[in-house]
Amino acid sequence: MLSLPATRSSPSIAWQDESHSLVLKGESYPENSFEFFAPLFSWLKAELPRLEKLTLRVDIPYMNSSSTKCMLDVLDMLAERAATGADIRVEWLYEKGNDRAYELAEEFSEDVSLPFEIKPVHRLDEQP
Amino acid sequence: MNRLLALKEDFTRQGILISFNGSFSHSIIEEVGTAAKRYMETRDLNKNTITDVFAVYIEQTQNVRNYVLERGLAKSAYDSAIVLITATEGLYAVSAGNPVLKRDRPALELRLTALSRLDKADLKQLYRQQLRAPPVAEARGAGLGLIDMARRAAGPLTWSFENLDATHDFFSLVVHVTGA
Repeated sequence: MLSLPATRSSPSIAWQDESHSLVLKGESYPENSFEFFAPLFSWLKAELPRLEKLTLRVDIPYMNSSSTKCMLDVLDMLAERAATGADIRVEWLYEKGNDRAYELAEEFSEDVSLPFEIKPVHRLDEQP
Repeated sequence: MNRLLALKEDFTRQGILISFNGSFSHSIIEEVGTAAKRYMETRDLNKNTITDVFAVYIEQTQNVRNYVLERGLAKSAYDSAIVLITATEGLYAVSAGNPVLKRDRPALELRLTALSRLDKADLKQLYRQQLRAPPVAEARGAGLGLIDMARRAAGPLTWSFENLDATHDFFSLVVHVTGA
């Protein structure tokens, strides 16, 4: 079971079994990105080989540069698993009107070969 | 003597919105950054500007904190830094200054000079390259912070080194941001 709560500077990370979704939500500029993402890497290493279907849903309005490095590593792991036959897709949410968030999503989509959908959302609530 | 009025007038002249002077902890970085962002949200409607100022602030302060930790400077006399966010006529700047070892200066200068010669397309390319670079042992960052700031900056990064003592310089880095 993978479920980490969000903090002000790190996103929540949760696996939702019924929808086969791995959901990351919240801003990402933790004190040490490599340490913060380590549990996610361990989980992926253990679970990916037996998962046939996974949707990565990313709702991260801002990530610092070391988080982008970790995110690319996650996407690379997923792409590797997709290459061996799993149905893996990415759904990347960004706030409508936030060009920087869109550009970030676009750059990731250019860098990995996975079905990659960039979806605008209207945000009514403020970030915590 | 209390020189608060003179200090306040000086802050106003320089357009200082927020500043922190002292040892950067992760929670200080969070608190000051969140306050700055909230304040900009009440003043400025351009989301790109707010995102870029916040992002540059995070890279600046985390670079300083990572440097302090990597060089074992925590709790020493060289642990105290300063960060400022200023706004003058719609142009924002995020400035940070911290003590660095003189022996680190040449490599840092070389890196900054190289970055200053690159245009936005080159910087994007370099960022993608660095994203794929193998991690450096004992480094807390991914070597992306300066490139990220250069990408978000309006115009070249400006920096200086001032002599502190026989072994340390004070390194200042100013990044201008328009959000354009």
